[in-house]
Amino acid sequence: MTGRTHQTFYLLCNGLLHISALVGKQFVKMNNAIGSRFLNGSCVCRRVLKKGSVRLLVPQQHDPAHSQRNVMTAHSMFLPVRELSSKIRCSQWTEIQRQLSGRAGGTMNVFDRTMKRRQKKWAASLQDSDKYDYLRDEVGSRVADRVYDIARTFPLALDIGCGKSHIAEHLHKEVVEQLFLTDISEKSLRNTRRSEIPTRCVMADEEFLPFKENTFDLVVSSLRITTILVLPSVSLCCHYNPSPFPKINQVLKPDGVFIGAMVGGETLYELRCSLQLAELEREGGFSPHVSPYTAVTDLGNLLGQAGFSMLTVDIDEIQVHYPGILEVMSDLQGMGESNCAWNRKSMLHRDTILAAAAIYQEMYGSENGSVPATFEILYMIGWKPHESQAKPARRGSANKKTIGSHCIKKIKVWGKFPNEGIGERLK
Amino acid sequence: MSGTNVWTRSRERMRRFPELFAQCSGEAAAYGKCVTATTTGRQELRKDLCVKEFDALKTCIVTAAKKGVK
Repeated sequence: MTGRTHQTFYLLCNGLLHISALVGKQFVKMNNAIGSRFLNGSCVCRRVLKKGSVRLLVPQQHDPAHSQRNVMTAHSMFLPVRELSSKIRCSQWTEIQRQLSGRAGGTMNVFDRTMKRRQKKWAASLQDSDKYDYLRDEVGSRVADRVYDIARTFPLALDIGCGKSHIAEHLHKEVVEQLFLTDISEKSLRNTRRSEIPTRCVMADEEFLPFKENTFDLVVSSLRITTILVLPSVSLCCHYNPSPFPKINQVLKPDGVFIGAMVGGETLYELRCSLQLAELEREGGFSPHVSPYTAVTDLGNLLGQAGFSMLTVDIDEIQVHYPGILEVMSDLQGMGESNCAWNRKSMLHRDTILAAAAIYQEMYGSENGSVPATFEILYMIGWKPHESQAKPARRGSANKKTIGSHCIKKIKVWGKFPNEGIGERLK
Repeated sequence: MSGTNVWTRSRERMRRFPELFAQCSGEAAAYGKCVTATTTGRQELRKDLCVKEFDALKTCIVTAAKKGVK
């Protein structure tokens, strides 16, 4: 890696944005090692922030395979730092996240997109990738339900991050006339499920949709936005990676609708807490192994900022039972949802895995020995503004008549009062 | 990556983990209780707070693994 100068990158430290810069040839070696070092506890971060040292940064694309080798040596160099223990418990960690996500500011790139692409490609190339599809199938069918709830026919629709097209197999030709499938991995596009709607497959990154403005009547997305969406967090400088919602708003026609599903809120909190406690007890510090998820409130804000109106956001909880923690992790890997945040630790000690398995079983296990994993799915519906849509009434325009007509309707009751119509009494 | 290497061997070992873990449920429960007691109690979780229980769990797993390999 010689010949590179001024290399810098973002660090996310326990949800607190910490900016540090490294200038020099040693950059690639330090990359993941520094990430794990600063994430061991909030202590280090707070110290640095108090000093007020702010340095520059810009993420850079580096070859993950190459840096993997360097990380092994660098990791041992920083081993003593692990003695800094953090006293933050599970609940506090999520508190910090919530505080941060409430603030306005730029957005930041938390995820390594190249790594995510490789994980998806690997997952799609598995022989038995079908057995990991249960979650996507379920969410896909629920998103299709919501499409049916809208009594319209959509001539042109787009499915972002379709995977094996779990939504389209539930849709009929009367609802959607033509469908474009977009995904980051070519293999899953080649293995799409059968659907009676004529489809076109486009291999594209969700951040850079190659479509013109005002093209689609309907955009659906199921469980892909997690990895593109980043927490709106405090940032001292740039907007590095904006959310995909403005782009989706752009490709929609006026009076078009966006129906999406993403994993959010308290998803996998059992896994996160078990790993956190285990790492704290075994190693003295912890680093995030489960990527941060968006809260419902933030979702509403983001959609509103992107220009959507008449928002609907609701939460659905799916609990899946597994024999143990290893099965949870291997299933997540098979789904292609392994951790790909920049700040991820590249190693998980087997002692920590053992400890986490014991803690998971004790804290959340059921009588028959299985452990639950919660997936909180946020479903969102947003419309692109159009004149025909109902607008909120002008302030002060409500009067008794408008209020009364909505509350009481005439009800006919048979049997009890044969002679008087009960409806007349309720007027 | 072709052939066996450290990753395939370690993954093979990890695949045996669930059955080994099932054999040591008593020690695992003891360790789990020790750690979860800190979340409700006043004592904060520190490094090696439950090291005795963890060592017992680890020896149980190791002996189970040795028995299985034979």
